[in-house]
Parts: sequence; C-alpha cells; structure tokens
Amino acid sequence: MLPITRRRLLGAVSTLTLIAALPRGPLAAGHETLRIAIAGETGDLDLLQNVSTLSSYTAVFDALIHYGPGGALEPGLATAWTVSEDGKSIAFDLREGVTFSDGTPFDATAAEWNLRRWMGVPDFSWIGISDAFEDIVVDGPNKITIKLKRPVPAGLQELAIVRPVRMLSPKAVDADGKQTAPIGTGPWVVESYDSARTVLTRNETYWGEKPFFSRMELIVVPDELARANGLRAGDLDVIGGDWVATLSPRRARALESEGMTVVAEPGTAAMHLGFSPTSPMVQDKAVREAVFLGIDRAAIATVLFEGFADPTVDVFPANIPLSGKRHEVPARDVAAAKAALAAGGWTEEGPGWSKDGQPLELDLLVSEESLPGSRRIAEIVQGMLSEVGIKVNVDSVDNATIHERRPAFDYDLAFFTTYGAPYDPHGSLGASFLKATDTGPDGKIYVSDDLDPIVKAALEATGDEREAKTQAVYDWLWDNVAIAPLVVQQRIWAHGPRLQGFALPATDYDLPFKGVSAS
Amino acid sequence: MARLLLRRLGLAVLLVLAASALIFALIAAAPGNVAALIAERAAGAGADAAMIARIEDELGLNDPLPVRYLAWLGDAARGDFGVSLRTGNPISEEFAARIPVTGLLLLCGGAIALVLSLGAGLAGAASNGGPLDRALHAAALIGASTPNFFVAALLVLIFAVTLGWLPSFGATGAAAWVLPSITIALFPASVLSRVVRVNLQEAMARPFATTGFAKGLTRREVLWREALPNIAVPYLTTFGAQFTLMTIGAIVVETVFALRGVGSFFIDAIRFRDFIGMQASLLLFVVFFVAVNFLVDVICLFVDPRLRRARG
Repeated sequence: MLPITRRRLLGAVSTLTLIAALPRGPLAAGHETLRIAIAGETGDLDLLQNVSTLSSYTAVFDALIHYGPGGALEPGLATAWTVSEDGKSIAFDLREGVTFSDGTPFDATAAEWNLRRWMGVPDFSWIGISDAFEDIVVDGPNKITIKLKRPVPAGLQELAIVRPVRMLSPKAVDADGKQTAPIGTGPWVVESYDSARTVLTRNETYWGEKPFFSRMELIVVPDELARANGLRAGDLDVIGGDWVATLSPRRARALESEGMTVVAEPGTAAMHLGFSPTSPMVQDKAVREAVFLGIDRAAIATVLFEGFADPTVDVFPANIPLSGKRHEVPARDVAAAKAALAAGGWTEEGPGWSKDGQPLELDLLVSEESLPGSRRIAEIVQGMLSEVGIKVNVDSVDNATIHERRPAFDYDLAFFTTYGAPYDPHGSLGASFLKATDTGPDGKIYVSDDLDPIVKAALEATGDEREAKTQAVYDWLWDNVAIAPLVVQQRIWAHGPRLQGFALPATDYDLPFKGVSAS
Repeated sequence: MARLLLRRLGLAVLLVLAASALIFALIAAAPGNVAALIAERAAGAGADAAMIARIEDELGLNDPLPVRYLAWLGDAARGDFGVSLRTGNPISEEFAARIPVTGLLLLCGGAIALVLSLGAGLAGAASNGGPLDRALHAAALIGASTPNFFVAALLVLIFAVTLGWLPSFGATGAAAWVLPSITIALFPASVLSRVVRVNLQEAMARPFATTGFAKGLTRREVLWREALPNIAVPYLTTFGAQFTLMTIGAIVVETVFALRGVGSFFIDAIRFRDFIGMQASLLLFVVFFVAVNFLVDVICLFVDPRLRRARG
C-alpha cells in the first residue's frame, strides 16, 4: 500500500476537483431524454388509490375516451361509442390490435375486467357512472356495453378522468386484485421509480403517435426556485403546470425576461370568492352585491397574476363544456357598491356601514398553504372593500384549519376554485353546489334549499335539455349574486431552448410531450 | 468508566422517552383527522363519514391517548413506524431509502466543516491579530449570519447557472453533492472556526504554552503540539452540537437541492398533513440528536482523562 504523502494527497484532491469542474454537457443524459420537473414523486401509479401524482397516469395508461381541447371527447381505447335512446346503456367499439406494454392484448375481456374493478364499487360512488352501474355485457371480441340503472348525462366525460377509469394489464395485479405494476397501453412505459425520479421509456408498441423522445425522466424538484434554476442551468427541459410543478406568474415573467420560452394558455379552473350560506352578514344580498361590485378583477389579474390570469364573473371558464352564457366583466364601481348597501338598508357611518346597530365587518378565511398566493389576493380584496366601507378581517390559517372551517361554513368570505378539466362542469356543480354531497374537507362554494333542485335538474338532464338546465344554475347564481367569481388563472409552463413544437395538452393532468422534439 | 457510560446511556434513553411522549402529544393535539386523510387517500371524493368512522375504529383512534402512545412507541421500537399517509409506503421503507441520502449529506457537510473550521481557526491563531486573522473573523461572521437557502441560491447561480460547472440539484454523481455539502457546512464551519480560534488564544496564554516557547518552539509548533490537543474537548462538544443542528439545515438544503432525504420527507409530511410521517421523522431526529451527543460525551471521556476522573 502506498504511504499517504502530502504530495499524493494534494494530487488526489486536485484530480477530484478537476473531475467535479468538468462541464457536464457531454456527460448529460443526451438529446433522447425529455426531463420534466415534478413537485412530488409519482408513486406506484395505482389506479385505485388516491396517492400517486395525478399528472403521471395519462403518460402510461389510456382510457376508453380521451378529453380533448375545449372538452371534446376523443377516441382513446374506444374508437366509437353509442348511447342508447333511454341513456341507460353505452356501447363501445374497442380499438383493435392494441396490446399492453407487457404484451397482454387489450380486448373486450380486458376492458370488462378493468371496468368491474371500480364500477359499482362503493368507494367510487362519487363517479356518477359507477354509482348508476348495473352490468357490463361483452358483445364481441372488441365490443362491450355498459348497462346503467339510470342515465348519467356526464358519463362519457367521466370515462375520460384521470383515475380509476384507465386500463391496466390484467396480469399486473396480485391474487387479491391489488395492482403490482403500472402496465398500461399508453405512450410510455415505467422503467423505474423512486422518491427522486420516475424514468419512462417510449412504448414502441403504442397504438397512437409515438413520442419523439425515447426516454422521459420525471424529476422530483419540490422547490420552485430550484426548478427555475434547473431550467436555467439546462438540467431540466420543462417546468410548470398546476398539477405537475407549479410555476408562479412572477417566476414565469422572470424566466421570460431571461429568454426562456414561457407558454401560457387560458386555464380551466375559476377562482371564486365564496359567501358562507350560514353567515347572517353575507346572507344579506345587498352585502353580496357590494362585495361583487367593489372588487377590481382586472387589477388582480394584472398585478397579482402578472397578466397570467383572466378576470371573470362566470362560474366556469369558456373552455369548459356547458359553461353557459358569458357575462361581461364589469369595471369596479365603488359608488354602485355603496348604493347597493344603501338600498339594502345599511347606513354609512364614518368610514363604515351599519344596520340595526350592527357594523358591517366580514371575516375572510384564507390559507396560503392551501391556495398559494391567496393571502396577497385577500389583502388586495381587503383594501378594495375598505374603500367601499366594508371592513374585512383577513383570517390567515393553516391547511388543516381551513379544511375544518370551510366545510363547517365557519367564515363570511373564503376562496374556492373549481375543479377544472376534465372534471367540470358536473364535478364542481355536484360537489360544490349541492347540499347533500359529502365533499369532505373542500367545503362548498354555495348551497341553498332553493338552489339544490336546480342543480339536481341540471345534473340529471339529458340530451338537448342539458344546456338549458345547466344555464338555469348559472342564472340562479347570477341573479342571487351567490358567488363572486374573480379570475381564471392561466396554465403556465416554461421550457428550455432545445425543445421545439411544445404545445399544452388539453388539461394540466396531462404531461406535455406530444409533438415535442429536440433541436 | 462502565458505570459512567451506563448512567449516560440511561439518561439518553430517558430523554428519548420524554421527547417521544411530547412529540406524540403535540401531533395528537394538532388539528386534522388521520382517519379522514386515509379515507381521502383510499376513496378520494368518495370518503364519507361512515368510512372515516370505520377507519378511526380500525386504527384505535378512539382509544385513550396513553394507550395509543404505548402502542405507537412499541411499534416504533420494533421498527414499524406505520404507513405514510402521503406516499402510501411503510415509513421504515421510506427511511431505509432516505437515511443514506441525509447521512451522506451530513457526513460531507461535517467533513467540510471540520477541515474549514480547523484550517481557519489555526490560520487565524497563527496570524494572531494580523490581516488574515481579521479577514477570517469577518468571513466567519458572514458565514454564520447568512441563511442557508440564500447561500444555496447564490452557489447555484454562480456554479450551476452561470458557469455550468455543477448540477443545480439532484444526487446523481459526485459533482451533485458539492454545492449541497458546502451549503450545509458553511454555518457550522463559521461557528467552529471561532471556537477553535478563541480556544487556541486562551490555550496559548496557558503555562504549558509559555513552557513550549521557553523550550525554543516556534509559535506554529506550540499551536500544533501544545495548544491544539488541549482544545479537543470544547471543540468536539461544539462539533457534536453543530453536527446535530445540521439536520435542521438538511431540511432546507434537501428541499432546495431536490435531495430525497429524511429532511425533505419531513417537510413533505408537514405540507401534506401526513401526521404519521411527521411523528416518525421527529422521533428519528430526537434519536439522532441524543445518539450523537452520547457519542460525543463518550469520545470526550476517552480523550480527556481529567473528565474521567472528575465524573467517575
């Protein structure tokens, strides 16, 4: 063994330093790998568990129907479908010649086996088509029919959600039926996953257009600044997406100014200021009107969202199917807000208002942890409403507390967001505007005995009636000023200079790789 | 000596037990319901009150707090920390995958802190009030006052974004560990360099140093041969404390550099209300704190016979 001398020690340290200092470009993963940042590990992609990251399923698994831009339902593993006249059966023609990535053929038997894993199962009764499930009939090697106890108007769209509807290889389960591996028919195959990254390779037997890249790495980078620096340093190709790895408007502008490509498109989820249905103060319609009129939505969109948001006064953005007639966003009108309060019997006293000796003072419940950026919006709303004479107390709480107080309607005002594509409009209407639905910790945007039958009628309406009945919900909410919609945040992504053809998929639950290539 | 060690060990076990009871009580008192989270994970929006009640019953959440504490502690002692509410994996598996990451980070950071602090402390003492001593004093002050997330951002900006020499995050390859290790080492290195410098100054005023000079030794020789061995106990004690405190730094550094260690697991557990993960992580930190301090005590006893005589 060589003795350790000072010269040898210095030599070894210098060599190690030199190796560390070598430029990494030539040693990097190469042009064949697309590197996308994700905020949390993908997990095992179990289709029946609510654990894994939602955005990674669609890379591996296909559904019968896929959600396209604007809510168009596109063929997935089903090439065609027919809904019976009574709405109680849906017949599917399945795509022929498709195999799972383990070689198992996809056919009517595999489709039936997959659907029976969740349809009619109590844990999945929140999906309308599962709740109404009666039976599945195999009509041929590539034909199946789903039989329902009652029509489910949003049933086809429900078959395009992220999980549990996607198709798993029947061989990828154990004796108890628990998923053992994420084997699907999608464009990517999971090679490995751990808490640091998930590595996927191109599915060479994929039935659709194969991705340009032969390999995709989903790299866990929880910190937003680290993701931005990773993009700047060339360690990442793509960052962004609400359900992937959020890119804040401010950071997006910073990246844009440095020459990175920022891609922003209208969002599919709307942000609302909700009025508690049990708060006597905001049950006064005049107060709700004053709040509605006293907020400058354009300023919020421009200042707080750096222009990456669109002001709105509608329940859903226009890119959601059946989102109803559009209303023009009114300019902030302090005088009209004050007039609404005066007409409602409120008396202006000094800087505030009172009625029957009760001063007008509202609690705005907010949790930065639950909805990033919401505290700043709350402060802006507080400032705007103070000019109307409404005193707003911003009640900033942690995530656990807001999840307890919101379902209990323990607030006057609180922020809510709709679910977005592919879950809306039926998802948010059913969960956030119906009294009876148990939505757990998310709470409800607005509920009332008068609204309940209108929402139910909209959710149960079929055919041509759906549009009119859904519009009736929007009209009721509008006429009663039951909510104060604020903005629709845009979907923000950024990518490095080597990518070409970058385009956003239909929802933020999909990863952006289709059509993307490297220069 | 053996009795002394046993007494120290007994104290360490008592400390872990007291801390574990406190952790359990704090997490139990936190708002939020574990059963609701498990139901939400299993059934998403389909989690209803009946399902939550069933899970509460299965988990024994309706049992008295002391019963639950003893059951949890017993399981933890057998290495069963439960299942993470966030990942759905057994926490012991998560720890098995993540402890090596945090361990390597702490070891690299500790090694850098050791080398830097001894080097800077000795160089300052050798300079003894000269420009180098003053510069090192100022550097230590800056190093100890700069938050590690800022240091991390600065290092990434210079070495990853601007120069492109090192990866901006991750744990793939030796180069990826350079920036996180320097970041986590900066604070303890700054504090320890002052410990070395100040203790050396005191040691140099002691009679054995004067004797060394009288024997014709140079200042450097007195520093190395006489003063340095005599500061071993205060240095080791402070190093132990700083080494354990690096776990707090690891929580930030792992997040900023996307290292998937125990620190990032703890932060994720907080963010996702994974109470079971939080409890297990805190218990692990406590055991680590107590173990390192116990180890330092033992080393000090071996290093300094005066301590053995005084405590024995």
